[in-house]
Amino acid sequence: MTEVRVRGAQLTATEATATVGTASAVPSGRRKPRHPGRHVPASRRWYKWRIWLPPAVTFVIVAVVWQLLALANPYVIPTIDAIVASLLRDPQMYWVNMLVTLQEVVIGATAGILVGFLIAVVMAEFEIMERAVMPLFVVIMVTPIVAIAPALVVAFGFGMMPKYIVTALVVFFPMLVNSLAGLRDVDQRTLDVMRTLHASRWEIFRDLRFPGSMPFVFAGLRVALPLAIVGAAVAEFVAAGQQAGLGSLVTIAAAQANLPVTWASIVLLCVLGVLIVSFLALVRNRVLWWSDGETVAR
Amino acid sequence: MPAQQQHDQQRLAHEAMPLDEGGPTRAPLAGAGAGSQAATEAAVQAAARTGGVRISNVSKSFGTDESRTLVLDGIDLSVGMGEFVSVIGPSGCGKSTLLKVIAGLTDADGGEVTVDGNPVSAATKNKMIGLVPQSPALMPWRTVLDNVTLPMSVNRGANGGRSMRDPVELLESFGLGHAIDKYPAQLSGGMQQRVAIARAFVFDPSVLLMDEPFSALDEMNRDQQRMGLLDFWQSNRKAVIFITHSVPEAIMLSDRIVVMAAHPGRIAEIIDVDLPRPRSVDDYATDEFRDLEGIVRAKLRAVMEPGAADAAAGGTGETR
Repeated sequence: MTEVRVRGAQLTATEATATVGTASAVPSGRRKPRHPGRHVPASRRWYKWRIWLPPAVTFVIVAVVWQLLALANPYVIPTIDAIVASLLRDPQMYWVNMLVTLQEVVIGATAGILVGFLIAVVMAEFEIMERAVMPLFVVIMVTPIVAIAPALVVAFGFGMMPKYIVTALVVFFPMLVNSLAGLRDVDQRTLDVMRTLHASRWEIFRDLRFPGSMPFVFAGLRVALPLAIVGAAVAEFVAAGQQAGLGSLVTIAAAQANLPVTWASIVLLCVLGVLIVSFLALVRNRVLWWSDGETVAR
Repeated sequence: MPAQQQHDQQRLAHEAMPLDEGGPTRAPLAGAGAGSQAATEAAVQAAARTGGVRISNVSKSFGTDESRTLVLDGIDLSVGMGEFVSVIGPSGCGKSTLLKVIAGLTDADGGEVTVDGNPVSAATKNKMIGLVPQSPALMPWRTVLDNVTLPMSVNRGANGGRSMRDPVELLESFGLGHAIDKYPAQLSGGMQQRVAIARAFVFDPSVLLMDEPFSALDEMNRDQQRMGLLDFWQSNRKAVIFITHSVPEAIMLSDRIVVMAAHPGRIAEIIDVDLPRPRSVDDYATDEFRDLEGIVRAKLRAVMEPGAADAAAGGTGETR
């Protein structure tokens, strides 16, 4: 009998270990988990190579092809060294313009995210609101942002306001749709438990819908934040009088056929996008450690 | 781990879910539990008169007028305080719908359900109903402890005058003392379901509704959880309505077994389980248990229409 008991206990322990083992992002104890893979055992270090080597090879190939094309077509695209030289010649100018674009993205996207999420909350709680205003939002969504941007510049002048609005507009819709899906996609049985406890609407939102919607919200952010950069750049394109921002820099430099500056600005827009998406991934790992990630629509 | 256990078999079961039967905050048996949570003096008196769950002439149908199907047809059932009643029947007999009606999740078309004398709507307002769904339905972003304390943090208006259990102590008695700070994803399926059961016990409800809580577990695990629940319930008597597909499970746990028939969903027979308590895994092997198993299976076969036989085969095919 004793033997059986011991075996039973072992089985449970192994089971528990197996569960923890498979869900590597799950923490031990109350602590929130750090990034998985920070302490990789020496025997598994080769695995890291497999992660960064393939994309590195791709980048090197692209760079080589680019350089060859640039050397063959000097008046169409600049060489990589020319772009780098341009960046190094006047880093202050690029930095100032990058900050302007970043400001547009941060303020515009924050506004779009908040408004999108709040309207999603209202729609999730009151279905009639969805039927009432969703068609309007669909109309806004299908209107090309490139067409709206000049109209907004006319309405709001050449200052920062039209840029904020365009950025917020492009962020708004993916946030709305994903947040709404997340707020609706609650576990029915957990909802049943809460309803049997007569939990209020607010309590169900606070304890279940809001945290449960986060995987979808972050999926929405992954779509929306790169779009925010598009929105900011497009708004700068059309605001001809406003000279600041990487988008403005692209237009002005291109008009002057200054290829190194044009492409240096484009590269910086890429860098901005990568930084924002990386920051998002960092926050997601912190906030969403409990989600296995596979349930998230990417 | 209590040292006073007499049988090896019992000790096995306690390994899975140890008990501390002499715990200081352990509520006395059913009567006092029901009284303490009634909101008003009148409700206390009503509880004394009409304790437990009373279901009278409940009917429910789904669908539009042309293609209306009767899911529940005149269900009458009383579950006394501290009584364990299992509901078993083929798929489509409406047992889950019945549970939803009692839980206040679905309104019946006709009839009446009362919990300790209160209509269901008042019973949920007073947090008198504990629900254990089919899946654990835990919040993956909350620790085990925070999941179990959920019922205390919602609908706080109903907390007054209620004897809440100490959630840590409760989890310890469920054999989850080591897991209170873990997250659901770190636990096995059986442990998760135990957390869900602890969540239903923690606010000391009048009645526990369990919808096939062990059906997603493998057979060995299921038996372990079943005996753990039985042990806990035997020292914490509550009215329980337990939906199951398993005949041995129904016999092992219940005071009475309600056999339902389908199309329309109705009670075909109520079978008394007169096995003495406390019960243990030894009882599976007794002649009385086997006799009862034969009776329940025969009844289930009788209520099954020819076409429905394969649908229900999985539920009754469990052998021992």
